[in-house]
Amino acid sequence: MRRIAYLFLAAISLLGASGSRATAATRPHYGGTLRVMMQSAPDALTLPANATPADYWDLARTLSLVGDTLVSLDAQGRPQPTLAVAWQSDPSTRRWQLTLRRGVKFHDGSAASPAAVAQILGALHPAWNVRASADAISIETEPATPSLLAELALPRNLILKRNTNGIPIGTGLFLVADWQPAKLLKLAANEDSWEGRPFVDAVEIEFGKSLHDQAIALELDKTDLIEAAPQAATAPQGHGASSSLSLPVELLALVFSTNSKAQDPRVREALALAIDRKPIQSVLLKGAGEPAASILPNWMTGYSAVFSAQANLPRARVLLADLRQPALNTSYRLSYDPRDPQAQLIAERIALNAREVGIAVQVSLSGAEDIRLMRVVLPSPDPATSLGEAARQLGLPQSESSTPRSNSVDDLYQAERGLLAGYAVIPLFHLPVASAAGARVRGWTPGPLATWSDAGSPLSGIWLETRAEAGTR
Amino acid sequence: MSFRQKLLLLFAATVLLCVAVMSASVYSTIRRSFEQADQVRAQAVAAQFQSEFQRRGSEVARKVESVAASEAVQRIALDMNRGATDAGEYVGDAHTLAGQQQLDFLELVDSRGVILSSAQWQAKFGYPEAALPEGRLSEAKTPADVGMAGSFLKREELPNGATLGLFAVRVARVGEQPLYVIGGERLDQGFLSTLDIPAGTRVLLYQNLAAEWNPRTLLDLNGPAAGADKIAPLVAHARDTLQESQGVINWTSDSADAEVFHAIPLTGPNLNSASLNSATPISPNRQLLGVLLVGSSRRPLIELQRRILSTAMLVGGMGILAAVLASLWFAARVTRPVVSLAEAARRVAAGDLGAKVDVESSDELGELAASFNRMTEDLAQQKDRTLQSERVAAWRELARRLAHELKNPLFPLQVTVENLMRAKQKSPEMFEEVFHEGTATLLAEIDNLKTIVGRFSEFSKMPQPQRRPTHVNDVVRSVLRVFQAQLQEKNHIAVRTELADPLPEISADSDLLHRALQNLVLNAIDAMPQGGELTIRTAAIAHGVEVSVADTGSGLTPEECERLFTPYYTTKQHGTGLGLAIVQSVVSDHGGKISVASTPEKGTTFRIELPCDFSAHSASLR
Repeated sequence: MRRIAYLFLAAISLLGASGSRATAATRPHYGGTLRVMMQSAPDALTLPANATPADYWDLARTLSLVGDTLVSLDAQGRPQPTLAVAWQSDPSTRRWQLTLRRGVKFHDGSAASPAAVAQILGALHPAWNVRASADAISIETEPATPSLLAELALPRNLILKRNTNGIPIGTGLFLVADWQPAKLLKLAANEDSWEGRPFVDAVEIEFGKSLHDQAIALELDKTDLIEAAPQAATAPQGHGASSSLSLPVELLALVFSTNSKAQDPRVREALALAIDRKPIQSVLLKGAGEPAASILPNWMTGYSAVFSAQANLPRARVLLADLRQPALNTSYRLSYDPRDPQAQLIAERIALNAREVGIAVQVSLSGAEDIRLMRVVLPSPDPATSLGEAARQLGLPQSESSTPRSNSVDDLYQAERGLLAGYAVIPLFHLPVASAAGARVRGWTPGPLATWSDAGSPLSGIWLETRAEAGTR
Repeated sequence: MSFRQKLLLLFAATVLLCVAVMSASVYSTIRRSFEQADQVRAQAVAAQFQSEFQRRGSEVARKVESVAASEAVQRIALDMNRGATDAGEYVGDAHTLAGQQQLDFLELVDSRGVILSSAQWQAKFGYPEAALPEGRLSEAKTPADVGMAGSFLKREELPNGATLGLFAVRVARVGEQPLYVIGGERLDQGFLSTLDIPAGTRVLLYQNLAAEWNPRTLLDLNGPAAGADKIAPLVAHARDTLQESQGVINWTSDSADAEVFHAIPLTGPNLNSASLNSATPISPNRQLLGVLLVGSSRRPLIELQRRILSTAMLVGGMGILAAVLASLWFAARVTRPVVSLAEAARRVAAGDLGAKVDVESSDELGELAASFNRMTEDLAQQKDRTLQSERVAAWRELARRLAHELKNPLFPLQVTVENLMRAKQKSPEMFEEVFHEGTATLLAEIDNLKTIVGRFSEFSKMPQPQRRPTHVNDVVRSVLRVFQAQLQEKNHIAVRTELADPLPEISADSDLLHRALQNLVLNAIDAMPQGGELTIRTAAIAHGVEVSVADTGSGLTPEECERLFTPYYTTKQHGTGLGLAIVQSVVSDHGGKISVASTPEKGTTFRIELPCDFSAHSASLR
């Protein structure tokens, strides 16, 4: 079922391999400061629950430089040891035990002991019963949590302490050297990292830079690592720069507000059938993203083709023909996230599509919205975890029917159908996340899940080419 | 109401009427002038709107021409002719070109009528442009070939609604396939702000974008106009009829805040016709796209109206004042003879028959005055004759009474003297006896004559009252004491007294009052020879006291009551007829009045009213 995903991953890997130009002639070496730019401008180094996708990825990447999760998931969703080296659960998946890596220390020199880790996890999840033993922690949950490891791999479960100023203290490759809220974060290499010292001495992250500014800065060699628009990532990079495009890890969808004037499911279905996703993808998204009618992307589930994303105007008109006049004469207000550079055009195109079948949709940022164009994060390669997270971000009510009972595909499919019933949400596109690195960056192996690395800690293998080396190349 | 007051009212009413008529006439004339001025202003604004519309239309056409001639559009046109079909490449081009030319709307449309790029709705690529007529598009070389030369008004759909725009179309033709460039500017408050609006006038624009009235599309210079719903009926009329209309909008209870609005329908091109040219937006038989509303404040008119009203009131007030003065002068002049006549008539009525009226004119009033003078002269002469007749009659009556009074004792005197003479001659022996009897009779009759003479003398010598504070009740009690013995002898007469206590003192001569009451009591006793009830009452009345003496005797006839106070009139066999005359004289001398009420066979009641302040009363009488 996941064959398509593996093929996609293979392509991404090839792209990544082509982007990594480390040769035998140029060996990795220590030193240098990696310059990074990001769109978001956080006031604090925390990951808020309602973060926008851009903020989510920026903060997740930043915090993952400072801290580690207990486990991590690879692109296939398989758990990999990080701070925990072994794990097991009882058959009911209510009780888990994770054996921790020995000798790990926080940046302040304190040991990342089972007790310290249990305290941090317990604070993050008051509903869990987290207990520490000699070299392990046990977690008891109610109800059963078959996806506990996927949950623990999420950036919100990074094992981080905080000093009195709220600065995170973790076990990661880098430690916080200077923090200017919303502007600049300086990280220094952690000499005592359990993964070993990173090649670069420091990382400087500038916040609040638009994608356009980041692209120009990269072009002018004023930064080393940036975010990029997905469509830009597919274009050829000049000046030795390389780019990376993740698997689709975001969902763009229309969500009907609870007090929307469009309460009739036929209106919602007609709108879903009226939307022609192809022109949006080809023109407005410049080919990036995949038209979608499901919440989860195909690489996660393998069944998304079951949900048709084809426009069907005749069927939409038939549905609307059954409606009474008031529903037809109503104008529905469609809002979008003004910080999303593509959202306005996509919303306007949807309004055009809707008017084509006779649904009056006005794109507006003022007044009470009936429909919202939302971009949400699918944070985990584990489909059940991503489905739950997507439903939470979309504000969908999660009932028993919309929660998978197990990690089986059938249960997942039924749960997703439950969430899509009634057309409270109309999935539009699954979107990737893109990054780009400058010419002097070496050893960059971006992962397919919008992380900065496909294995181990992010940026652990990166080293910076000197001017002399560049000259010999 | 006096004649003078009537004259005053007539004068005032005449002045008011004149002022009212004049004010109404002035107001009517001014109102017509204002309405004509409003009409002229509205037409001027409409003409200016049309002129501005055409000027801006030319400007839009020039900008669109520039866009069509630009390198970017030429490149796109070339791409089209080369068969390029990727609309995604051009999505942002129209936006960029519109920004360069400061156009609000710009669309690039291929030869099939499909939008390649839209500035106002970037996501509209791939959709057909409804403004372009179907067919003939691929062969067109100029806008005129598709009937779209010049500029025109058009409704433009936008993502957040619709709006009105002033559009022009140009054709960029590089190869076989033409590329249409449709550009425009918004027709909204920004357009209105370019109009040179006269003072006191404002312009609103209703964008007729929906089937129903939408107040948010009624725009003034600052955006959606306030109080739009009040204008809705005017717009609805223009929408229904496509004709100009006019109406007054009252914004507040103050009529000066009202505005007169002229509603001018704005039409777009007739999409059913072959041509989309629209030289003017104000044309009948086309699709209604908007309504231009030219409003003129009614404040100048209302304020002028108020000034006229206040001036009219001032003039009216001054007119009334002048009318009062004039009428006073005129009425005084006109009514002076009448007043003199009235005064003379009052004097005549008071008994002054010597009153004369000056005859100052020879008109009707002069003739009336002369007639009045003649009348008073006649009356005076007639009165003199009447007085002489009455005096003669009185003397005759007095003579008759005297003769009657004196004849009664004279006859016994004569008989007695004759008896004495007869006795002297015929029976001297009995003379002595007869003499004694005769002299006794003579003496008695002579006494009787003396009494008669004394009474007349007493009546002629009635003294003037010596006024002192007097209690009437004391006088009544004093009179009753005098008659106490007599009444006790005639025990068949019952006496009843009802004396009010307290009773105010009066200024009176108690002796005269005593005498008057004594006469009344005596009359009452005489009226009841068979017995009865004598009632004496006193009571306080306004400004005085009342004394009444009532008997239950045989009563008097109305004729007797009329003559009762006439001197020497009596109903008694041996009365002198002076008793009640004396009573009336006393009462009159005290400023009071006496009246009698009598019912035959039931009794008679005399009422005397005496004022407290005698001096004041006598002064008023003087």
